[in-house]
Amino acid sequence: MDFLSLFLMDFVKQLQSPTLSFLIGGMVIAALGSQLQIPESICKIIVFMLLTKIGLTGGIAIRNSNLTEMILPALFSVVLGVLIVFIARYTLAKLPKVKTVDAIATGGLFGAVSGSTMAAALTLLEEQKIPYEAWTGALYPFMDIPALVTAIVIANIYLNKKQRKAAAAAAHAPIQESFSKQPVAALAYSSDASGTVGDYPDQSDYPSSRQEYRSQQTPGDSRVKIWPIVQESLQGPALSAMLLGLALGLIAQPESVYKSFYDPLFRGLLSILMLVMGMEAWSRIGELRKVAQWYVVYSVVAPLVHGFIAFGLGMIAHYATGFSMGGVVVLAVIAASSSDISGPPTLRAGIPSANPSAYIGASTAIGTPIAIGVAIPLFLGLAQAIGG
Amino acid sequence: MAKPAKKLVIVTEKILLKKIAKIIEECGSTGYTVMETGGKGSRNVRSSGQPNVSDTQANIKFEVLTSDRDTAEKIADQVAVQFFIDFAGIIYICDAEVLYGHSFCGPEGC
Repeated sequence: MDFLSLFLMDFVKQLQSPTLSFLIGGMVIAALGSQLQIPESICKIIVFMLLTKIGLTGGIAIRNSNLTEMILPALFSVVLGVLIVFIARYTLAKLPKVKTVDAIATGGLFGAVSGSTMAAALTLLEEQKIPYEAWTGALYPFMDIPALVTAIVIANIYLNKKQRKAAAAAAHAPIQESFSKQPVAALAYSSDASGTVGDYPDQSDYPSSRQEYRSQQTPGDSRVKIWPIVQESLQGPALSAMLLGLALGLIAQPESVYKSFYDPLFRGLLSILMLVMGMEAWSRIGELRKVAQWYVVYSVVAPLVHGFIAFGLGMIAHYATGFSMGGVVVLAVIAASSSDISGPPTLRAGIPSANPSAYIGASTAIGTPIAIGVAIPLFLGLAQAIGG
Repeated sequence: MAKPAKKLVIVTEKILLKKIAKIIEECGSTGYTVMETGGKGSRNVRSSGQPNVSDTQANIKFEVLTSDRDTAEKIADQVAVQFFIDFAGIIYICDAEVLYGHSFCGPEGC
């Protein structure tokens, strides 16, 4: 029972930490209908600051560390990113009232990494004085990009298969309606309209005025290009800030600005971001309620399952190559986290037919609060209990 | 003298900004105005000022002045075909008269 009491005590203590209390505070004031507004540009600056700081920390530390240690955790990150998407494809997608593309997109978002969740975990590790390798922040892209690429690729493979099936069926169908020059588009549209999730019920009569624009739609090309997705992820605001920080930390001598500006401001700004994320989480819950209830179940369970898988893999690295316990926690937390800054636009562009209310709602409203509020204290407690 | 023109208005999601700008230029229009907007449509209230950390909820409004209806319709058709099945958006057209604008060419030429 020693383990359990230690864990529970730790859990309560975590809830009082600035990170979590601001998140919960944000949710509470949003629930009470507060008119508090944090300008969007401030959020963007905060995200930039946090990720640059993480990058700089990593870059400065990498200069005098042995990078071969990073290979195994980086490999595990890639595996996790891909695995999480497949877990969603074969669990969430099978649930009733869940569209397969929506499920794959949700998996992609949960596989991708949230910079703010990672920042929260790193802050808590520092507060608890648990050592971790400074390069663990650099594991971010190794999990983020594979998850998004996998999600977009398997979603497009699935859609193409569905479209080919529809085309084959159309070839056998006797007469097409006159406006339909492209039978594929017409059928794809009708199967869309009969889709199970009715987020916008009037979707079916949306194009009635200019019917021809649907019939003009060419069937999507069957090849998904992977490189543009990777490029887009790297160019996203979160990753480019982190990579810039990493490069500057490695090449330049940014210690003076790091000590006087990035490091001292980090925690305060993180608390503002947490407040905003709490408020956003609350405002998205209503949106999620309109899509299938199973998303709620998935987004509560999935972060913890992903985290435990990552924790297991991290422990393997711990025994094999001496990956620190703090590093194991970071790996588990980034697996548990779901992208909230750069992931959604990438997925929206990569899988346009997936319903953003489903995957962004699942991630922002429930996935992120669970990752920050439950997963971080859980894995920290677990690491402390195991590490002593 | 006022030159007759068509004002094409496209209200849609911000993540389409670059792609729509490309279509407009490819259709032969030389300029456009983009505004950040918000409002309510068939796909729920969008960008009405809730806090957010990513741009996925933001909306934009394009205004394009074209000298003839054909160009405007070409732009509208392409945008609708490519995006409006999966993205929120609406396109409408109005009559306009360009009073001042050095490089705007009306139907009778510049």
